[in-house]
Amino acid sequence: MTRGESESRTALAWRWLREHGVNIVAGLVVVYMLIPIAVIFVFSFNDPAGRYNFTWVGFTLSHWGNAFGIPELTSALVTSLKLALLATLISTAIGTLMALALVRHQFLGRRAANILIVIPMATPEVVMGSALLSFFLILNAPPLGFQTLLIAHVMFCISFVVVVVRSRLIGFDRNLEEAARDLGATPLQTFRLVTLPLIMPGILGAAMLAFALSIDDFVISNFNSGTTVTFPLYIFGAAQRGIPVEVNVIAMILFGATVAAMGFVTWQQQRAEKMTKARPEQEQAPIPAPGVAAAQ
Amino acid sequence: MRLGRRTVPYALLAPGAVWLVLFFVIPLYYMGKLSLESGTIGALEFSWQWSNYGDALSLYDTQFVRSFVYAGLATLFALLLAYPLAYAIAFKAGRWRNLLLFAVVAPFFTTYLIRTLAWETILSDQSPVVSVLDFLGLAPGGHVLATGGAVIAGLTYNFLPFMVLPIYASLERIDERLIEAAKDLYASSRQAFWRVTLPLSAPGVVAGTLLTFIPASGDYVNAQFLGSAGNQMIGNVVQSLFLKQSNYPSAAALSFVLMAVILIVVLVYIRFAGSEALMGEEAAR
Amino acid sequence: MRGSERGGPRATLVVAAVVAAVTLGLGLAACGGGGGGGIEGGGNTESEQVKLEGKPSGSLTISNWPLYIDEATVSAFEKQDGVSVKYIEDVNDNAEFFGKMQPLLAQGESGGRSVFVVTDWMANKMHELGYLQNFDKSGLPNFEQNLRSELKSPSYDPSRDYSAPWQSGMTGLTVRTDLAPDVHSICDLFDPQYKGKVDMLTEMRDTVPLVMKCMGVDPSEATEQEWLDAIDKIKGAVDSGQIRRFTGNDYARDLTSGDAVAVIGWSGDAVQLQADNPNIEWRMPTEGCILWSDNMVIPVGAPNPTAAEAWVNYVYDPEVQADIAEYVNYVTPVEGVKEILAKREPELAKNQLIFPSDSFTKNCTIQPTPTGEEEQKITAAFEAVLNG
Repeated sequence: MTRGESESRTALAWRWLREHGVNIVAGLVVVYMLIPIAVIFVFSFNDPAGRYNFTWVGFTLSHWGNAFGIPELTSALVTSLKLALLATLISTAIGTLMALALVRHQFLGRRAANILIVIPMATPEVVMGSALLSFFLILNAPPLGFQTLLIAHVMFCISFVVVVVRSRLIGFDRNLEEAARDLGATPLQTFRLVTLPLIMPGILGAAMLAFALSIDDFVISNFNSGTTVTFPLYIFGAAQRGIPVEVNVIAMILFGATVAAMGFVTWQQQRAEKMTKARPEQEQAPIPAPGVAAAQ
Repeated sequence: MRLGRRTVPYALLAPGAVWLVLFFVIPLYYMGKLSLESGTIGALEFSWQWSNYGDALSLYDTQFVRSFVYAGLATLFALLLAYPLAYAIAFKAGRWRNLLLFAVVAPFFTTYLIRTLAWETILSDQSPVVSVLDFLGLAPGGHVLATGGAVIAGLTYNFLPFMVLPIYASLERIDERLIEAAKDLYASSRQAFWRVTLPLSAPGVVAGTLLTFIPASGDYVNAQFLGSAGNQMIGNVVQSLFLKQSNYPSAAALSFVLMAVILIVVLVYIRFAGSEALMGEEAAR
Repeated sequence: MRGSERGGPRATLVVAAVVAAVTLGLGLAACGGGGGGGIEGGGNTESEQVKLEGKPSGSLTISNWPLYIDEATVSAFEKQDGVSVKYIEDVNDNAEFFGKMQPLLAQGESGGRSVFVVTDWMANKMHELGYLQNFDKSGLPNFEQNLRSELKSPSYDPSRDYSAPWQSGMTGLTVRTDLAPDVHSICDLFDPQYKGKVDMLTEMRDTVPLVMKCMGVDPSEATEQEWLDAIDKIKGAVDSGQIRRFTGNDYARDLTSGDAVAVIGWSGDAVQLQADNPNIEWRMPTEGCILWSDNMVIPVGAPNPTAAEAWVNYVYDPEVQADIAEYVNYVTPVEGVKEILAKREPELAKNQLIFPSDSFTKNCTIQPTPTGEEEQKITAAFEAVLNG
């Protein structure tokens, strides 16, 4: 074997590692993220005799069959889903508008507004929850319950939405908007047909984050929920006496549902791509401007 | 339309600003008042008790330092884990990108507590995971739970999505042709990464770091379930003061101190990392 | 497009000033009623009295601890008394519940709840602050008749004016009989051979009195200094690594996995734990245990107190209580349940954890609680140990 050959073998090995190293590490990280999910999954099939779900006793599907059989759990879940959906819609809308204002315009009070966004993220949840509760009591309205929960959830989601959408907006190529306007579009049309689609991934990411934050919130909800019980509140409560196996089942259903939903969207995208490829008589699109390509 | 131009940013800003002022700033004002009161429940009175603040700092300095150390380490680990993942999703995942993103965020939907309790099971002394870690010398004393390490691991895990998403968002915007151009100019892959990709992803890194560090500093769930008496963080102290000791003035004072320290850290970090990233001015292209 | 920011720092100051002024203005305006916060509202010394209004009807909201009732009792009550019940399990921890309810109660509201269940010391604390209503005993014949004699006159509520025990329990030792067979006393928990494998409860009024018993002190008559000394002893154990951690119910997890071999634990949990792991056993410490009760109380501002009393009365019927006791496995406060269960499930009737005999509990102390300034000092000292 000549020196040249052995060198190229090491070089090949290095190159393979460099090319795939990132993928390997990324794969490991994904595995790391999913380990607790695997544990939750396994224990959702457990069949404990008592109320605790710590030791593996035996395999059963009965809890999967009974997933929605505990009325308090199910109603807590439904409440959380409704709350998260509404909170996401409202906070994403408000937050996106704020992000647009902050990134694109110079105006008096911009720095103050930036600070206003950051501070809620720095506040301990106990403080926010307790402060809000006192505030609602002073105002004597609205009555503690779903409405106050909604207000609280929107409040802490806004900051996150702004930060995420903003990091997407930075460096957005304004030339595209200028081009649209040069072609006669009104600002509203430009926004709707050019800007919005391009920043949509950022908005969707922010919405996803807001939804996850809302559905997972415990501390602030605890203070402001009145007698309404959300999913995390139910679980924290149950954790004192033994979490029923059905909770694991529902956790897995939620997890699976979100992954499945995204899988569906991805599948639709792939189908759309295939269909575009199947129409060769259409002109090849001109080489897209940098912003558009990056936004795909 | 000319008339409306000046007011456009204010109109955009208004709903959010009103919401935040009404439901965040004003309640905090009342908390501020509370922090200057003295006495016990049912007999609190406003007395400009600035000593609450001094006491907060001196009594709980250990927990403060510990919280920032834990949060800092967790942020660092999260960054090291999140960047390759975000990079892979942005550049190498192709059509699976959205699915992978959801795989990153989906664990959130199983509830914070359940995930943390699952870690309790995984990291229990008898588990194979801990045996491996012990073998690798990473688990002094043969146990991981009820140590600072477990708390940091929990924090890293729970805030990983906060790091991945912003980094992905800014990586994904980068035009691959810039990287190609760099390579055309004889840059190696590594140079292209360090000199082109990494700097362009800086806004995402800054955002992710802040989104991780800040809530991690005030967290209490991980310390409560994965740590022991010597690993409690400032969030646990605030909880204890508020709920167990009903010492509202001290709790409020401590909370404000925590917020102030976090803000200082954030401002210093932004100065260092460049204010463009956070303040929203458009990056030079 | 990328010009320098107009206005600069001075503009920011102006804006900040404006915002501050507006905020203050709004704040002061809203401040009108409530005196600066629901937090401060003091209590009155005279407790409100429940006013009964004929037959119970309408709806009722009950707050209780999780898994503290069987499945059938609520619906049976609804059928019998024609009241619609919303039963929520949102009491997870006395102090947390207090923290959540205090701003409401201080303003005379209960957030919609008519009954909630809190441990003795918390019931006492709420009563002192004027947050609870006194019962109208004419609505509680079952309660008067069937309450077990040893619970009739606790020191904090000698005539049972405002608290009605829901269930009682014992705090003692829960051990792994296979890993720590020789642990029989609280003092054994400090034995170095179990270093790092001992848990204690975050509940101060369970942990510290038990440690006091180990030190030979009678918790019901302990001085502030004796409380603090016991807390010091615990701190020593924390510093030396003897105590693994302080837990709520999650000592169950540590015991099950073997991460802990001996803990301070609650009697009712043990019955459940044994079902899956027969090596777990609750033991009466040689020094004795701590006896506590969780009590039903009617808060100020309770809607429909008539139905609330009907509920309290209902669960003091031995037949009803037997169903609850069968499921919950704590110590029932109602006379006559043992006989009923002896016919249904003799094993349960013989279980000392559910029907402890007097000799079994002879060394036990009712859960003590410091009051007033002592309470603040002792609580702060204990929390300082917990929070490192």
